[in-house]
Amino acid sequence: MTTSFEWSLPRGTVVKGKWKQGSYRVERLLGEGANGKVFLVERNRGWYALKIGADAVDLQSEVNVLQSIAKQQRGSRTEAFLVDVDDLRGMDGKDYPFYVMRYIRGATLSEYLARHGMDWFPVVGYSLLGKLGELHEAGWIFGDLKVENVMVADYGRVDLVDYGGVTAAGKGVRQFTEIYDRGYWNAGTRIAEPGYDLFSFAVLCIQLHDSRRLANLIGAMLPQMRTPDELLRLAGTIPALKPLGGWLRKALYGEFSSSREAAAAWQQWMHRPGTKRSSAPTPGWLKGLFVGSAALLATTIYWLLQNGL
Amino acid sequence: MNQILLITDGCSNVGISPVVAAAQAYAEGITVNVVGVVDQGDLGEFGSAEIEEIARAGGGLSRLAHTKQLSQTVQMLTRKTVAQTIQHAVQRELKQVFGSSSIESLPPDKRGEVVRVIDELGETSKLRVALLIDASASMKPKLQAVEEAIRDLVLSLQARQGSSEIAVFHFPGTAYGEDCMLDLDWTSNVNGMTSLFPRLQMRGTTPTGPALMGVIDFYRKADYGSRKNDGTDGMMSDYVV
Repeated sequence: MTTSFEWSLPRGTVVKGKWKQGSYRVERLLGEGANGKVFLVERNRGWYALKIGADAVDLQSEVNVLQSIAKQQRGSRTEAFLVDVDDLRGMDGKDYPFYVMRYIRGATLSEYLARHGMDWFPVVGYSLLGKLGELHEAGWIFGDLKVENVMVADYGRVDLVDYGGVTAAGKGVRQFTEIYDRGYWNAGTRIAEPGYDLFSFAVLCIQLHDSRRLANLIGAMLPQMRTPDELLRLAGTIPALKPLGGWLRKALYGEFSSSREAAAAWQQWMHRPGTKRSSAPTPGWLKGLFVGSAALLATTIYWLLQNGL
Repeated sequence: MNQILLITDGCSNVGISPVVAAAQAYAEGITVNVVGVVDQGDLGEFGSAEIEEIARAGGGLSRLAHTKQLSQTVQMLTRKTVAQTIQHAVQRELKQVFGSSSIESLPPDKRGEVVRVIDELGETSKLRVALLIDASASMKPKLQAVEEAIRDLVLSLQARQGSSEIAVFHFPGTAYGEDCMLDLDWTSNVNGMTSLFPRLQMRGTTPTGPALMGVIDFYRKADYGSRKNDGTDGMMSDYVV
């Protein structure tokens, strides 16, 4: 959905807070959420992510969530997430609320896997389940879990970005994306609970392996035909997801009692012998190709010798 | 909180002006939102100006949407209007507590508490949404999408902590001069319902204004019957000591 916040901040712009005078130099646009835009900014040689929007209530609501999470995590070794909250007096004389967060370096999940290979998928998935578990145990549900909202740094370390959908457990999920939404697939309510995120996680697994066929599936289906069974059937045709079928079934049908349980099941799958089948036996077509090129090489050498080079 | 959500694809052409009807709704504590469905770009300049004005008169919001985005648009409007209604109520209280009436004029560290109350009320207060569906001939190919959007809205409303109900109307009603027809009385559940518009007969005219008046009347009767008044003042009194 489009926001009423349409303008952008060009590189080099200095954003100065109206209340606390903190100033930040804009480097580039990082992304766009439902409630505003996120920019990479610099202050005292440190990099931060600054989210600016048009609606003070929407943005403050996100800040409230971040602050409660920060309060719960006080004492743990994680770096402060929320750095500053202030308003920018815009060129049009209106005030635009913004907040400043720790900048999370990394690539989006699909970029990362495209660059480093699908071998990283189980590790990254496990790490993501751990992140979700931390949130869940603190009483929050991420809500809008999707490929774009997962950042991966070196060695598959995962961070969640865009807290616009984060909802206290038991309330209605504040923000979601249709194809990851349990309700959209007629698989349950939109009440925030760990199972809601785990369902999105399962869709995310399919999305990462075959986004094209997932899109086709949705395009061809009547709304009442959307069921978790259809998702499972699609997952069953993706070789890399086959061994994960049992796990996906439980996630799609809400059978995990907690994200901890889901993570444990994921771990078992990772360590089961034979999971790494992808690199073990050489596929038939590759053998054929090898025989073919060997024959070609022989012919070439023969031809070269014949011509007396 | 009471809302009317009008879904239409054209201009009204019979009876009282829908802008007047929307203003009347707002005066009676009902916010009017409007979605203009534009699939073949058939709404026209006049049509889009009209839906904007209906929403403005009704204290709500208007959006143009393709049938593909209908579900999202309906949800977004409902959610935003809930937030807005509460903000209006809260702003009155703010004036007394902080001496300023807008949330924006508060320093960020004071905003947090106010917004927490707004979020809490938005999640817990009682909400009723009457959906008023334009069923003139040109809407026929879009009704499937409308029905899906309604089911999707109900799903989201069910996830709220407060009680939420919807009712569904279409217009024009019968040939006997009824301006709108009730398809579904107040309910919080549409599971197992095969069709939301069982008795639909497409007709040519678009009496948007009279249909809105019909829905306002329906609200009035429901309130009279149950003697429940969920005006924003009553809602706030629980929270502001």
